[in-house]
Amino acid sequence: MGKKDIGIYENVLEYISLELSNILKKIPATYKANIEEIRLRSGAPLNIYCMNRDYFVTREGMITNEKEKGVMVERNDIMKTFQLISNYSVYAFEEEIRNGFITLKGGHRVGIGGKVLYGANGIDKIKNISSLNIRIAREKLGISNKLVKYIVDFPDSIYNTLIISPPQCGKTTILRDLIRNLSSGIDLLQGKGFKIGVIDERSEIAGMYNGIPQHNIGPRTDVLDGCNKKDGTMMLLRSMSPEIIAMDEIGNIQDVEAIHEILKAGVKIIATVHGNSIDDLLSRRSLNILVNDRIFKRYVFLDNSQGVGTIKSIIDGDTFTPI
Amino acid sequence: MIFLKLIGGFLIIFSSAILGFNYGNRFSKRFENLCFLEQCIKILETEIVYGAYPLPDALSNVYTKGNKKVSFIFERIKSHLLGSREGDVFNSFLSVADTVKDELSFKDEDIELFLSLGRILGSSDREDQEKNFRIVLNQIKLLQEDAKMEMDKNEKMYKNLGILMGIAIVLILL
Repeated sequence: MGKKDIGIYENVLEYISLELSNILKKIPATYKANIEEIRLRSGAPLNIYCMNRDYFVTREGMITNEKEKGVMVERNDIMKTFQLISNYSVYAFEEEIRNGFITLKGGHRVGIGGKVLYGANGIDKIKNISSLNIRIAREKLGISNKLVKYIVDFPDSIYNTLIISPPQCGKTTILRDLIRNLSSGIDLLQGKGFKIGVIDERSEIAGMYNGIPQHNIGPRTDVLDGCNKKDGTMMLLRSMSPEIIAMDEIGNIQDVEAIHEILKAGVKIIATVHGNSIDDLLSRRSLNILVNDRIFKRYVFLDNSQGVGTIKSIIDGDTFTPI
Repeated sequence: MIFLKLIGGFLIIFSSAILGFNYGNRFSKRFENLCFLEQCIKILETEIVYGAYPLPDALSNVYTKGNKKVSFIFERIKSHLLGSREGDVFNSFLSVADTVKDELSFKDEDIELFLSLGRILGSSDREDQEKNFRIVLNQIKLLQEDAKMEMDKNEKMYKNLGILMGIAIVLILL
Protein backbone atom coordinates (compact mmCIF):
# COMPACT_ATOMS: atom_id res chain seq x y z
CA MET A 1 0.00 0.00 0.00
CA GLY A 2 1.16 3.51 -0.49
CA LYS A 3 2.25 5.79 -3.27
CA LYS A 4 1.90 3.18 -5.99
CA ASP A 5 -1.71 2.42 -5.04
CA ILE A 6 -2.59 6.10 -4.94
CA GLY A 7 -0.92 6.45 -8.34
CA ILE A 8 -3.07 3.66 -9.74
CA TYR A 9 -6.18 5.35 -8.33
CA GLU A 10 -5.26 8.67 -9.86
CA ASN A 11 -4.68 7.07 -13.25
CA VAL A 12 -8.18 5.64 -13.10
CA LEU A 13 -9.62 9.09 -12.34
CA GLU A 14 -8.43 10.19 -15.78
CA TYR A 15 -11.36 8.19 -17.16
CA ILE A 16 -14.03 9.82 -15.02
CA SER A 17 -15.85 13.02 -16.00
CA LEU A 18 -14.08 16.16 -14.84
CA GLU A 19 -16.58 17.18 -12.15
CA LEU A 20 -16.68 13.80 -10.48
CA SER A 21 -12.98 13.18 -10.76
CA ASN A 22 -12.30 16.52 -9.08
CA ILE A 23 -14.46 15.36 -6.17
CA LEU A 24 -12.85 11.92 -6.06
CA LYS A 25 -9.40 13.50 -6.01
CA LYS A 26 -10.19 14.95 -2.59
CA ILE A 27 -11.00 11.74 -0.71
CA PRO A 28 -8.59 10.76 2.11
CA ALA A 29 -5.40 8.94 1.14
CA THR A 30 -6.19 5.69 2.96
CA TYR A 31 -9.32 5.31 0.88
CA LYS A 32 -7.41 6.14 -2.28
CA ALA A 33 -4.93 3.37 -1.60
CA ASN A 34 -7.54 0.73 -0.79
CA ILE A 35 -10.41 1.55 -3.09
CA GLU A 36 -11.79 -1.42 -5.00
CA GLU A 37 -14.70 -0.06 -6.96
CA ILE A 38 -16.06 3.28 -8.05
CA ARG A 39 -19.75 3.04 -8.88
CA LEU A 40 -21.65 5.57 -10.92
CA ARG A 41 -25.41 5.18 -11.15
CA SER A 42 -27.61 7.64 -12.92
CA GLY A 43 -29.67 9.54 -10.33
CA ALA A 44 -28.00 7.91 -7.32
CA PRO A 45 -25.24 9.18 -5.03
CA LEU A 46 -21.59 8.56 -5.92
CA ASN A 47 -20.61 5.27 -4.34
CA ILE A 48 -17.23 3.67 -3.64
CA TYR A 49 -16.24 0.24 -2.34
CA CYS A 50 -13.31 0.14 -0.06
CA MET A 51 -12.04 -2.44 2.42
CA ASN A 52 -15.17 -4.59 1.97
CA ARG A 53 -17.60 -1.79 2.73
CA ASP A 54 -19.37 0.77 0.64
CA TYR A 55 -19.34 4.49 1.24
CA PHE A 56 -20.85 7.56 -0.36
CA VAL A 57 -18.76 10.56 -1.35
CA THR A 58 -19.91 14.11 -0.60
CA ARG A 59 -19.42 17.11 -2.84
CA GLU A 60 -16.45 18.13 -0.66
CA GLY A 61 -14.77 14.77 -1.18
CA MET A 62 -15.60 13.48 2.31
CA ILE A 63 -16.57 9.87 2.97
CA THR A 64 -19.98 9.25 4.52
CA ASN A 65 -22.45 6.48 5.24
CA GLU A 66 -25.49 8.69 4.76
CA LYS A 67 -26.77 8.46 1.24
CA GLU A 68 -28.48 11.86 1.40
CA LYS A 69 -25.12 13.59 1.73
CA GLY A 70 -23.57 11.86 -1.26
CA VAL A 71 -23.10 13.86 -4.43
CA MET A 72 -25.67 12.91 -7.09
CA VAL A 73 -24.44 11.37 -10.30
CA GLU A 74 -26.29 12.81 -13.29
CA ARG A 75 -26.96 11.07 -16.57
CA ASN A 76 -24.63 13.58 -18.14
CA ASP A 77 -21.73 12.48 -15.90
CA ILE A 78 -22.29 8.92 -17.02
CA MET A 79 -22.31 9.93 -20.69
CA LYS A 80 -19.11 11.93 -20.32
CA THR A 81 -17.38 9.20 -18.36
CA PHE A 82 -18.44 6.66 -20.95
CA GLN A 83 -16.98 8.85 -23.69
CA LEU A 84 -13.68 9.09 -21.82
CA ILE A 85 -13.61 5.36 -21.12
CA SER A 86 -14.22 4.50 -24.75
CA ASN A 87 -11.73 7.19 -25.82
CA TYR A 88 -14.57 8.98 -27.65
CA SER A 89 -14.91 5.90 -29.82
CA VAL A 90 -17.93 3.83 -28.93
CA TYR A 91 -17.75 2.26 -32.39
CA ALA A 92 -14.34 0.77 -31.58
CA PHE A 93 -15.69 -1.08 -28.53
CA GLU A 94 -18.84 -2.68 -29.98
CA GLU A 95 -17.76 -6.19 -29.09
CA GLU A 96 -16.69 -5.23 -25.57
CA ILE A 97 -19.92 -3.35 -24.92
CA ARG A 98 -21.88 -6.38 -26.06
CA ASN A 99 -20.02 -8.40 -23.43
CA GLY A 100 -20.88 -5.80 -20.83
CA PHE A 101 -17.49 -4.42 -19.97
CA ILE A 102 -14.49 -2.50 -21.27
CA THR A 103 -10.91 -3.08 -20.10
CA LEU A 104 -8.89 0.08 -19.47
CA LYS A 105 -5.16 0.61 -19.68
CA GLY A 106 -3.77 -0.85 -16.47
CA GLY A 107 -6.15 -3.81 -16.55
CA HIS A 108 -9.01 -2.04 -14.76
CA ARG A 109 -12.45 -3.14 -15.82
CA VAL A 110 -15.53 -1.05 -16.36
CA GLY A 111 -18.86 -2.87 -16.16
CA ILE A 112 -21.77 -1.36 -18.06
CA GLY A 113 -25.45 -1.36 -17.17
CA GLY A 114 -28.25 -0.05 -19.36
CA LYS A 115 -30.93 -0.99 -21.83
CA VAL A 116 -29.90 -4.14 -23.69
CA LEU A 117 -31.05 -4.50 -27.28
CA TYR A 118 -31.17 -7.86 -29.02
CA GLY A 119 -30.34 -8.44 -32.66
CA ALA A 120 -30.25 -11.51 -34.85
CA ASN A 121 -27.13 -12.88 -33.16
CA GLY A 122 -27.85 -12.30 -29.49
CA ILE A 123 -27.11 -9.04 -27.72
CA ASP A 124 -26.72 -6.30 -30.27
CA LYS A 125 -25.91 -3.25 -28.19
CA ILE A 126 -26.43 -1.53 -24.88
CA LYS A 127 -27.98 1.91 -24.98
CA ASN A 128 -29.19 4.41 -22.39
CA ILE A 129 -26.29 3.53 -20.18
CA SER A 130 -27.39 3.98 -16.60
CA SER A 131 -24.60 2.61 -14.48
CA LEU A 132 -20.88 2.11 -14.63
CA ASN A 133 -18.80 0.07 -12.24
CA ILE A 134 -15.10 0.82 -12.37
CA ARG A 135 -13.18 -2.02 -10.74
CA ILE A 136 -9.68 -1.06 -9.87
CA ALA A 137 -7.26 -3.87 -10.57
CA ARG A 138 -4.36 -4.19 -8.20
CA GLU A 139 -1.97 -7.00 -8.69
CA LYS A 140 -0.52 -8.26 -5.47
CA LEU A 141 2.83 -9.72 -6.37
CA GLY A 142 3.86 -12.52 -4.05
CA ILE A 143 0.40 -13.19 -2.62
CA SER A 144 0.56 -16.82 -3.81
CA ASN A 145 4.13 -17.54 -2.66
CA LYS A 146 2.94 -19.51 0.35
CA LEU A 147 0.50 -21.49 -1.74
CA VAL A 148 2.99 -22.82 -4.27
CA LYS A 149 4.51 -25.50 -2.05
CA TYR A 150 1.11 -27.10 -1.46
CA ILE A 151 0.32 -27.60 -5.12
CA VAL A 152 3.69 -28.81 -6.36
CA ASP A 153 3.67 -32.48 -7.38
CA PHE A 154 7.27 -33.65 -7.19
CA PRO A 155 9.41 -34.14 -9.17
CA ASP A 156 8.26 -31.90 -11.98
CA SER A 157 4.55 -31.24 -12.06
CA ILE A 158 1.69 -29.66 -10.14
CA TYR A 159 -1.67 -30.89 -8.86
CA ASN A 160 -4.92 -29.91 -10.51
CA THR A 161 -6.04 -27.09 -8.28
CA LEU A 162 -9.36 -25.38 -7.67
CA ILE A 163 -9.45 -22.04 -5.87
CA ILE A 164 -12.75 -21.41 -4.09
CA SER A 165 -13.96 -18.24 -2.44
CA PRO A 166 -16.91 -15.89 -2.09
CA PRO A 167 -16.83 -12.79 -4.34
CA GLN A 168 -14.30 -10.05 -3.63
CA CYS A 169 -11.92 -12.30 -1.70
CA GLY A 170 -9.15 -12.29 -4.27
CA LYS A 171 -9.74 -15.41 -6.37
CA THR A 172 -8.50 -13.83 -9.54
CA THR A 173 -5.67 -12.03 -7.77
CA ILE A 174 -4.36 -15.30 -6.33
CA LEU A 175 -4.81 -17.13 -9.63
CA ARG A 176 -2.91 -14.43 -11.48
CA ASP A 177 -0.03 -14.48 -9.04
CA LEU A 178 0.06 -18.27 -9.08
CA ILE A 179 0.32 -18.14 -12.87
CA ARG A 180 3.16 -15.66 -12.55
CA ASN A 181 4.98 -17.86 -10.03
CA LEU A 182 4.59 -21.09 -12.00
CA SER A 183 5.44 -19.42 -15.28
CA SER A 184 8.52 -17.65 -13.92
CA GLY A 185 9.91 -20.83 -12.42
CA ILE A 186 9.85 -22.10 -8.87
CA ASP A 187 12.76 -22.92 -6.61
CA LEU A 188 11.15 -26.12 -5.34
CA LEU A 189 11.50 -27.60 -8.81
CA GLN A 190 15.03 -26.30 -9.42
CA GLY A 191 13.73 -23.22 -11.13
CA LYS A 192 11.52 -25.04 -13.61
CA GLY A 193 8.94 -22.82 -15.21
CA PHE A 194 5.77 -24.12 -16.82
CA LYS A 195 4.25 -23.29 -20.19
CA ILE A 196 0.88 -21.90 -19.19
CA GLY A 197 -2.13 -21.24 -21.38
CA VAL A 198 -4.56 -18.77 -19.85
CA ILE A 199 -8.16 -18.67 -21.02
CA ASP A 200 -9.10 -15.19 -19.94
CA GLU A 201 -12.79 -15.14 -20.75
CA ARG A 202 -13.49 -11.95 -18.85
CA SER A 203 -10.17 -10.20 -19.47
CA GLU A 204 -9.54 -10.13 -15.76
CA ILE A 205 -6.50 -12.34 -15.34
CA ALA A 206 -4.08 -10.73 -17.75
CA GLY A 207 -6.01 -7.49 -18.28
CA MET A 208 -5.13 -7.35 -21.97
CA TYR A 209 -5.07 -3.85 -23.43
CA ASN A 210 -4.20 -3.57 -27.13
CA GLY A 211 -2.62 -7.00 -27.01
CA ILE A 212 -0.33 -6.28 -24.06
CA PRO A 213 -0.95 -7.92 -20.68
CA GLN A 214 -1.32 -5.19 -18.08
CA HIS A 215 -0.44 -7.51 -15.22
CA ASN A 216 2.67 -9.56 -14.61
CA ILE A 217 1.76 -13.08 -15.66
CA GLY A 218 5.23 -14.49 -16.19
CA PRO A 219 7.41 -15.13 -19.23
CA ARG A 220 5.99 -18.50 -20.31
CA THR A 221 2.33 -17.55 -20.44
CA ASP A 222 0.07 -17.43 -23.50
CA VAL A 223 -3.27 -15.69 -23.20
CA LEU A 224 -6.51 -16.22 -25.10
CA ASP A 225 -8.32 -13.03 -24.30
CA GLY A 226 -12.13 -12.92 -24.28
CA CYS A 227 -12.36 -16.54 -25.40
CA ASN A 228 -14.89 -18.93 -23.92
CA LYS A 229 -13.47 -21.87 -22.01
CA LYS A 230 -14.61 -24.65 -24.33
CA ASP A 231 -13.24 -23.05 -27.51
CA GLY A 232 -10.17 -21.80 -25.70
CA THR A 233 -9.31 -25.23 -24.39
CA MET A 234 -9.46 -26.77 -27.86
CA MET A 235 -7.36 -23.98 -29.34
CA LEU A 236 -4.70 -24.21 -26.65
CA LEU A 237 -4.49 -27.99 -26.72
CA ARG A 238 -4.30 -28.10 -30.49
CA SER A 239 -1.54 -25.63 -31.02
CA MET A 240 0.07 -24.14 -27.94
CA SER A 241 1.21 -27.32 -26.13
CA PRO A 242 0.62 -25.97 -22.64
CA GLU A 243 1.67 -27.82 -19.49
CA ILE A 244 -0.93 -26.01 -17.42
CA ILE A 245 -4.21 -24.39 -18.44
CA ALA A 246 -5.57 -21.70 -16.17
CA MET A 247 -9.15 -20.42 -16.22
CA ASP A 248 -11.33 -18.21 -14.10
CA GLU A 249 -14.86 -18.78 -12.77
CA ILE A 250 -15.80 -22.24 -13.96
CA GLY A 251 -19.35 -23.35 -13.33
CA ASN A 252 -21.43 -24.50 -16.26
CA ILE A 253 -21.54 -27.85 -17.95
CA GLN A 254 -19.45 -26.74 -20.94
CA ASP A 255 -16.65 -25.82 -18.58
CA VAL A 256 -16.77 -29.33 -17.16
CA GLU A 257 -16.50 -30.76 -20.67
CA ALA A 258 -13.55 -28.47 -21.33
CA ILE A 259 -11.85 -29.73 -18.17
CA HIS A 260 -12.31 -33.35 -19.26
CA GLU A 261 -10.67 -32.47 -22.58
CA ILE A 262 -7.74 -31.00 -20.70
CA LEU A 263 -7.36 -34.13 -18.61
CA LYS A 264 -7.44 -36.33 -21.69
CA ALA A 265 -4.48 -34.41 -23.04
CA GLY A 266 -2.54 -34.87 -19.82
CA VAL A 267 -2.43 -31.16 -19.10
CA LYS A 268 -2.84 -29.77 -15.58
CA ILE A 269 -5.57 -27.34 -14.59
CA ILE A 270 -5.79 -24.39 -12.26
CA ALA A 271 -9.25 -22.89 -12.00
CA THR A 272 -11.34 -20.73 -9.72
CA VAL A 273 -14.97 -20.93 -8.69
CA HIS A 274 -17.44 -19.04 -6.51
CA GLY A 275 -18.33 -20.85 -3.32
CA ASN A 276 -17.79 -21.36 0.41
CA SER A 277 -17.29 -25.05 1.04
CA ILE A 278 -17.07 -28.48 -0.55
CA ASP A 279 -20.76 -29.00 0.21
CA ASP A 280 -21.49 -25.82 -1.66
CA LEU A 281 -19.71 -27.26 -4.72
CA LEU A 282 -21.47 -30.60 -4.37
CA SER A 283 -24.84 -28.85 -4.47
CA ARG A 284 -24.16 -27.63 -8.00
CA ARG A 285 -24.70 -30.26 -10.65
CA SER A 286 -21.79 -29.49 -12.95
CA LEU A 287 -19.28 -29.01 -10.14
CA ASN A 288 -20.58 -32.11 -8.39
CA ILE A 289 -19.25 -34.17 -11.31
CA LEU A 290 -15.81 -32.64 -10.94
CA VAL A 291 -15.65 -33.21 -7.19
CA ASN A 292 -16.93 -36.81 -7.34
CA ASP A 293 -14.59 -37.71 -10.19
CA ARG A 294 -11.74 -36.60 -7.93
CA ILE A 295 -10.41 -34.40 -10.68
CA PHE A 296 -8.95 -31.73 -8.46
CA LYS A 297 -6.27 -32.80 -6.02
CA ARG A 298 -6.13 -29.52 -4.15
CA TYR A 299 -9.00 -27.28 -3.07
CA VAL A 300 -7.85 -23.88 -1.87
CA PHE A 301 -10.39 -21.89 0.15
CA LEU A 302 -9.95 -18.15 0.52
CA ASP A 303 -11.53 -15.57 2.75
CA ASN A 304 -11.15 -11.98 3.73
CA SER A 305 -10.21 -12.35 7.38
CA GLN A 306 -6.67 -10.99 7.00
CA GLY A 307 -7.15 -8.93 3.86
CA VAL A 308 -7.93 -9.94 0.30
CA GLY A 309 -6.51 -13.33 -0.66
CA THR A 310 -6.18 -14.88 2.81
CA ILE A 311 -5.80 -18.65 2.49
CA LYS A 312 -8.35 -20.18 4.86
CA SER A 313 -7.64 -23.83 4.22
CA ILE A 314 -6.25 -26.23 1.67
CA ILE A 315 -8.05 -29.54 1.27
CA ASP A 316 -6.70 -32.68 -0.35
CA GLY A 317 -8.91 -33.77 -3.25
CA ASP A 318 -8.71 -37.51 -2.61
CA THR A 319 -9.27 -37.72 1.13
CA PHE A 320 -11.09 -34.42 1.66
CA THR A 321 -8.94 -33.71 4.68
CA PRO A 322 -7.09 -30.45 5.31
CA ILE A 323 -3.37 -30.37 4.57
CA MET B 1 0.83 67.23 -63.14
CA ILE B 2 -0.70 64.89 -65.68
CA PHE B 3 1.85 62.32 -64.61
CA LEU B 4 0.72 62.51 -61.00
CA LYS B 5 -2.93 62.20 -62.11
CA LEU B 6 -2.05 59.11 -64.10
CA ILE B 7 -0.33 57.50 -61.15
CA GLY B 8 -3.22 58.37 -58.82
CA GLY B 9 -5.76 57.00 -61.26
CA PHE B 10 -3.81 53.87 -61.68
CA LEU B 11 -3.57 53.36 -57.90
CA ILE B 12 -7.31 53.79 -57.50
CA ILE B 13 -8.10 51.30 -60.23
CA PHE B 14 -5.53 48.89 -58.88
CA SER B 15 -6.81 48.96 -55.31
CA SER B 16 -10.48 48.66 -56.20
CA ALA B 17 -9.59 45.81 -58.56
CA ILE B 18 -7.89 44.03 -55.67
CA LEU B 19 -10.92 44.65 -53.51
CA GLY B 20 -13.21 43.12 -56.12
CA PHE B 21 -10.80 40.30 -56.71
CA ASN B 22 -10.66 39.43 -53.03
CA TYR B 23 -14.39 39.55 -52.64
CA GLY B 24 -14.91 37.40 -55.71
CA ASN B 25 -12.26 34.97 -54.55
CA ARG B 26 -14.22 34.14 -51.42
CA PHE B 27 -16.75 32.27 -53.52
CA SER B 28 -14.19 30.05 -55.16
CA LYS B 29 -12.40 29.56 -51.85
CA ARG B 30 -15.60 28.38 -50.21
CA PHE B 31 -16.26 25.92 -52.98
CA GLU B 32 -12.70 24.66 -52.93
CA ASN B 33 -12.67 24.23 -49.15
CA LEU B 34 -16.01 22.43 -49.18
CA CYS B 35 -14.47 19.96 -51.60
CA PHE B 36 -11.46 19.48 -49.31
CA LEU B 37 -13.77 19.14 -46.31
CA GLU B 38 -15.71 16.41 -48.12
CA GLN B 39 -12.45 14.63 -48.80
CA CYS B 40 -11.48 14.90 -45.10
CA ILE B 41 -14.86 13.60 -43.94
CA LYS B 42 -14.55 10.66 -46.32
CA ILE B 43 -11.16 9.84 -44.84
CA LEU B 44 -12.62 10.13 -41.35
CA GLU B 45 -15.44 7.79 -42.35
CA THR B 46 -12.98 5.18 -43.56
CA GLU B 47 -10.91 5.48 -40.42
CA ILE B 48 -13.95 5.02 -38.20
CA VAL B 49 -16.25 2.66 -40.05
CA TYR B 50 -13.66 0.36 -41.61
CA GLY B 51 -10.57 0.96 -39.49
CA ALA B 52 -12.32 1.32 -36.12
CA TYR B 53 -9.46 3.54 -34.96
CA PRO B 54 -10.09 5.42 -31.71
CA LEU B 55 -11.30 8.93 -32.47
CA PRO B 56 -8.10 10.81 -31.52
CA ASP B 57 -6.04 8.55 -33.80
CA ALA B 58 -8.63 8.82 -36.56
CA LEU B 59 -8.49 12.64 -36.34
CA SER B 60 -4.70 12.58 -36.57
CA ASN B 61 -4.88 10.35 -39.61
CA VAL B 62 -7.29 12.73 -41.29
CA TYR B 63 -4.82 15.53 -40.67
CA THR B 64 -1.95 13.64 -42.28
CA LYS B 65 -3.89 12.16 -45.18
CA GLY B 66 -6.15 15.08 -46.05
CA ASN B 67 -5.37 18.38 -47.75
CA LYS B 68 -3.68 20.57 -45.15
CA LYS B 69 -5.68 23.63 -46.20
CA VAL B 70 -8.65 22.10 -44.38
CA SER B 71 -7.38 19.08 -42.47
CA PHE B 72 -5.56 21.24 -39.91
CA ILE B 73 -8.91 21.76 -38.17
CA PHE B 74 -9.09 18.05 -37.34
CA GLU B 75 -5.72 18.22 -35.63
CA ARG B 76 -6.97 21.18 -33.61
CA ILE B 77 -10.11 19.29 -32.62
CA LYS B 78 -7.95 16.43 -31.43
CA SER B 79 -5.75 18.72 -29.32
CA HIS B 80 -8.80 20.28 -27.74
CA LEU B 81 -10.38 16.88 -27.12
CA LEU B 82 -7.36 15.47 -25.34
CA GLY B 83 -6.49 18.74 -23.61
CA SER B 84 -9.90 19.54 -22.15
CA ARG B 85 -10.89 16.04 -20.94
CA GLU B 86 -14.49 17.24 -21.01
CA GLY B 87 -15.85 14.03 -22.42
CA ASP B 88 -17.70 15.99 -25.08
CA VAL B 89 -16.74 15.86 -28.75
CA PHE B 90 -19.24 18.54 -29.72
CA ASN B 91 -17.51 21.12 -27.51
CA SER B 92 -14.26 20.42 -29.27
CA PHE B 93 -15.95 21.03 -32.61
CA LEU B 94 -17.43 24.25 -31.26
CA SER B 95 -13.99 25.40 -30.15
CA VAL B 96 -12.78 25.51 -33.76
CA ALA B 97 -16.02 26.77 -35.34
CA ASP B 98 -14.92 30.42 -35.43
CA THR B 99 -11.56 29.59 -36.95
CA VAL B 100 -13.26 27.49 -39.56
CA LYS B 101 -15.61 30.27 -40.49
CA ASP B 102 -12.92 32.93 -40.81
CA GLU B 103 -10.11 30.96 -42.34
CA LEU B 104 -12.08 28.81 -44.73
CA SER B 105 -14.63 31.43 -45.93
CA PHE B 106 -17.48 29.18 -44.87
CA LYS B 107 -21.05 30.37 -44.50
CA ASP B 108 -23.29 29.69 -41.52
CA GLU B 109 -24.93 26.67 -43.12
CA ASP B 110 -21.52 25.13 -43.80
CA ILE B 111 -20.55 25.58 -40.15
CA GLU B 112 -23.85 24.05 -39.08
CA LEU B 113 -23.16 20.94 -41.14
CA PHE B 114 -19.66 20.73 -39.75
CA LEU B 115 -20.98 20.97 -36.19
CA SER B 116 -23.63 18.34 -36.84
CA LEU B 117 -20.76 15.96 -37.52
CA GLY B 118 -19.45 16.77 -34.03
CA ARG B 119 -22.78 15.89 -32.48
CA ILE B 120 -22.69 12.27 -33.59
CA LEU B 121 -19.02 11.50 -33.93
CA GLY B 122 -17.87 8.58 -31.81
CA SER B 123 -21.04 8.34 -29.78
CA SER B 124 -22.59 5.25 -31.37
CA ASP B 125 -21.75 1.96 -33.02
CA ARG B 126 -20.24 1.56 -36.43
CA GLU B 127 -23.47 0.99 -38.32
CA ASP B 128 -24.96 4.15 -36.88
CA GLN B 129 -21.80 6.15 -37.54
CA GLU B 130 -21.87 5.02 -41.15
CA LYS B 131 -25.48 6.17 -41.58
CA ASN B 132 -24.66 9.55 -40.13
CA PHE B 133 -21.63 9.93 -42.37
CA ARG B 134 -23.90 9.22 -45.38
CA ILE B 135 -26.23 12.00 -44.30
CA VAL B 136 -23.42 14.51 -43.75
CA LEU B 137 -21.78 13.63 -47.05
CA ASN B 138 -25.07 13.99 -48.91
CA GLN B 139 -25.62 17.39 -47.39
CA ILE B 140 -22.13 18.54 -48.18
CA LYS B 141 -22.79 17.67 -51.83
CA LEU B 142 -25.79 20.02 -51.78
CA LEU B 143 -23.73 22.76 -50.19
CA GLN B 144 -21.07 22.27 -52.84
CA GLU B 145 -23.64 22.68 -55.61
CA ASP B 146 -24.85 25.83 -53.95
CA ALA B 147 -21.30 27.13 -53.58
CA LYS B 148 -20.54 26.30 -57.19
CA MET B 149 -23.60 28.16 -58.39
CA GLU B 150 -22.73 31.22 -56.36
CA MET B 151 -19.17 31.04 -57.57
CA ASP B 152 -20.15 30.93 -61.24
CA LYS B 153 -22.61 33.75 -60.77
CA ASN B 154 -20.65 36.08 -58.54
CA GLU B 155 -16.95 35.52 -58.81
CA LYS B 156 -16.47 37.06 -62.28
CA MET B 157 -19.01 39.75 -61.54
CA TYR B 158 -17.25 40.99 -58.41
CA LYS B 159 -13.86 40.88 -60.08
CA ASN B 160 -15.12 42.92 -63.04
CA LEU B 161 -17.07 45.20 -60.77
CA GLY B 162 -13.89 46.03 -58.86
CA ILE B 163 -12.07 47.17 -61.97
CA LEU B 164 -15.08 49.01 -63.33
CA MET B 165 -15.65 50.82 -60.03
CA GLY B 166 -12.04 51.95 -60.10
CA ILE B 167 -12.41 53.26 -63.63
CA ALA B 168 -15.67 54.99 -62.71
CA ILE B 169 -14.10 56.74 -59.71
CA VAL B 170 -11.17 57.87 -61.81
CA LEU B 171 -13.47 59.21 -64.49
CA ILE B 172 -15.52 61.17 -61.94
CA LEU B 173 -12.38 62.61 -60.35
CA LEU B 174 -10.93 63.61 -63.69
